[in-house]
Amino acid sequence: MIILKNLTKIYRGIKAVDNLNLQIPQGTIFGFIGPNGAGKTTTIKMMTGVLRPTKGSISIDGLDIAKEPSQAKRIIGFIPDRPFLYEKLSGIEFLRFKAGLYGMAGAGLDEDISDLLNLFELSDWADELIESYSHGMRQRLIIASALIHKPRVIIVDEPMVALDPRGAKLVKELFKERATKGTTVFMSTHTLALAQEVCQQIAIVDKGQIVASGTSKDLEEQAGVMGDLERIFLTITGGPTET
Amino acid sequence: MNIFRLLITPRFVGFKNNLKGPGGGRRVKILTLIVVGILFWLVLFFLFYRVLAYFSSQEMIGDVLARQLLAMVLLIFFSLLIFSHIVTALSNLYLSQDLELFHASPATLTEIFLSRSFYTVIDSSWMLIVFGLPVMMSYGVVYHASLAYYLSLIYVSLPLMIIAASLGILIIMVLVGFFPAQRARDIIFFLSLVVIICLYFLFRFLRPERLVNPDSFISIAQYLGALKAPDLPYLPSQWATDLLWTRLTGYPRGQVLNDVLLWSTALALMVIDIWMAGLIYFRGFSKAQEAKRRTRVGRKILENAISALTRPLGPDTTSLIAKDVRTFFRDNSQWSQLLLLGALVVVYLYNFSVLPLERSPIKSVYLQNALSFLNIGLAGFVISALSARFIFPAVSAEGNAFWIILSSPLSVRRFLWSKYFAYLIPMLILAEVLIIYTNYLLRVTAFMMVLSSVTIFLLVFGIVALGVGLGAIYPNFRHENIAQVATSFGGLIYMISSSVFIALVIVLEAGPVYTILSAHFRGEAVTNAQWVWITGSFILVIFVQIVAVKKPMEAGLKSLSSYEG
Repeated sequence: MIILKNLTKIYRGIKAVDNLNLQIPQGTIFGFIGPNGAGKTTTIKMMTGVLRPTKGSISIDGLDIAKEPSQAKRIIGFIPDRPFLYEKLSGIEFLRFKAGLYGMAGAGLDEDISDLLNLFELSDWADELIESYSHGMRQRLIIASALIHKPRVIIVDEPMVALDPRGAKLVKELFKERATKGTTVFMSTHTLALAQEVCQQIAIVDKGQIVASGTSKDLEEQAGVMGDLERIFLTITGGPTET
Repeated sequence: MNIFRLLITPRFVGFKNNLKGPGGGRRVKILTLIVVGILFWLVLFFLFYRVLAYFSSQEMIGDVLARQLLAMVLLIFFSLLIFSHIVTALSNLYLSQDLELFHASPATLTEIFLSRSFYTVIDSSWMLIVFGLPVMMSYGVVYHASLAYYLSLIYVSLPLMIIAASLGILIIMVLVGFFPAQRARDIIFFLSLVVIICLYFLFRFLRPERLVNPDSFISIAQYLGALKAPDLPYLPSQWATDLLWTRLTGYPRGQVLNDVLLWSTALALMVIDIWMAGLIYFRGFSKAQEAKRRTRVGRKILENAISALTRPLGPDTTSLIAKDVRTFFRDNSQWSQLLLLGALVVVYLYNFSVLPLERSPIKSVYLQNALSFLNIGLAGFVISALSARFIFPAVSAEGNAFWIILSSPLSVRRFLWSKYFAYLIPMLILAEVLIIYTNYLLRVTAFMMVLSSVTIFLLVFGIVALGVGLGAIYPNFRHENIAQVATSFGGLIYMISSSVFIALVIVLEAGPVYTILSAHFRGEAVTNAQWVWITGSFILVIFVQIVAVKKPMEAGLKSLSSYEG
């Protein structure tokens, strides 16, 4: 379970995240959507321990990220929106490195790595330096690396960036399958169709605050608009609803 | 022309915004840089002023020496300018990230080429111009030059700069025509390193100290002959020397040919560059955009060595160190600097092996021990310089991938201390090799051997902590090239702090060491009061060491823990 309590982040006097409160049950795929600059990435960075909140708390499966950062991070798999990696490592070396950071070693590790490389169709490139990978391959490697330690919570910022349709389908199936096994997925995305298809719960964030949340049906009621998520989103965030 | 102006605008606006940026820290930073720059400028000016004043007081050979020095300085500046243009042109014309935007715009190829060449000239020349100025000013002051000399500095340096820029850009265009830009960078870097090492060895093994030994010269004619290095009439730097010398001394008169040569070469090369750019620039740029080649890495030797060495440290630290070692050896611009390190160590040790101790007027046993003591400081500075290059950038080396560390269970504390211990061990070994081997060459007393080994051992702990700690206080995760980090503001602060730390330890130890050695050589006993003072000094040394390790690491930890990108 993920609990965000009064979460606030102020950057040089500007409130990027403003008193955010959320409670996400275990095994849920949660969509976090909002316009550019709404505070989605800042929220995610605080949840993963990359940024410190100005105020408020974050609890991941009962572990406070500020008080017990190492234990909390151990159960999180983070997939950022930009695939910055160590260019001079090969794909397989990067996965081993990532596993090492999570304290993993031993006999089963090579098998797990091999399985992930196969799953993300990177086996042929396992021994190549990451600097020669395409954007999509980097993204697939990052997703693979986020799963290496079998996280109980997956936090992902724009999962489909640079993925081809095959990769996108694979990731969608993977999230659904993990969620049925009890993994909580917190996903920020601009791809509204994706959010509508896979998320059981959605929150719309604007100017650092949650302006609507719940199931698709709840959102329809709150917006007073029936139909697809795009129309609901545009109504709630104040954009033009007809094009 | 409008498009050209537009294309060069982002750099200037960016620079202006950078100066205006928020925070009092920026003002302190700029002020510190200005103060250090002015100090360096003044030191250079007075150094040249003293040398030239001394030359001008020598009849017959004074002017010959001053003119030779001017020719040499201009030749060095000219060569450095060409080299600097080669390096910056590669990045400005082929590798910069904003080039894609420019090439996709309706600007013509010539406009893009000219705007990027303009950047190249600015990037390559400003430092040489700033630091060349005190040298040229000292000539003007010593030779009581008229205003015409100072004006001619602009008149002469402008075509010299254009020639260097055109040659540098031309060389890089041709090089990228043959190799992809990424490869060309490695080749340039490697070649320049080899050239520097060769020059370094050549200079050292020529033993310039012989020149001050009067026994080496048979006659004044031979001495003058040695000074008059062959003139290089085809080099633009020589044309510039002749022109400036005429303005300084009035001789020789009527050097119109040099003016014509300098300006016509500059203009001709500019035209050739633009013409060549039309032919080959875009082809090279296009090649630079192609995907990098696949590089399959070997796993056996390095992998086994790393895992054997780091196994006791736990999987997280092992992973971190293994990653750093792999990255270091796969990055050509990193590992190749080990060659420079090797050259530095060889020459350092060679210097001690050729010291003419037996011919010194001072009793050699005193000299040996005094040198051994000073050697602690010298070796400390060598370790500091290496740390500035390798350890200070260690945190920044994580680059944009630092999010991986921040989001992992590895605490920032453990991350920093892992970096610390990974660098501490090789630095300790290197420092001890330098000290013990030089002490052996100097044949010092057992007391000095123990004292210098222990002192350098302790110094390294502080030097490495300052490097890691200050590297964490001044991180730059968005660098395009890790070498930029070492020469940043933080790098400067590191060098100053590290030098102060070494000097402090040496000063604290100097008095007690002198007292002990004097008593030893005179066969006297050290008094009780002296023992109290000696013990106090050494306790203070240990206290300074503890502070030098603790404070920067704590400050680095605090700063990095609150890092917000």
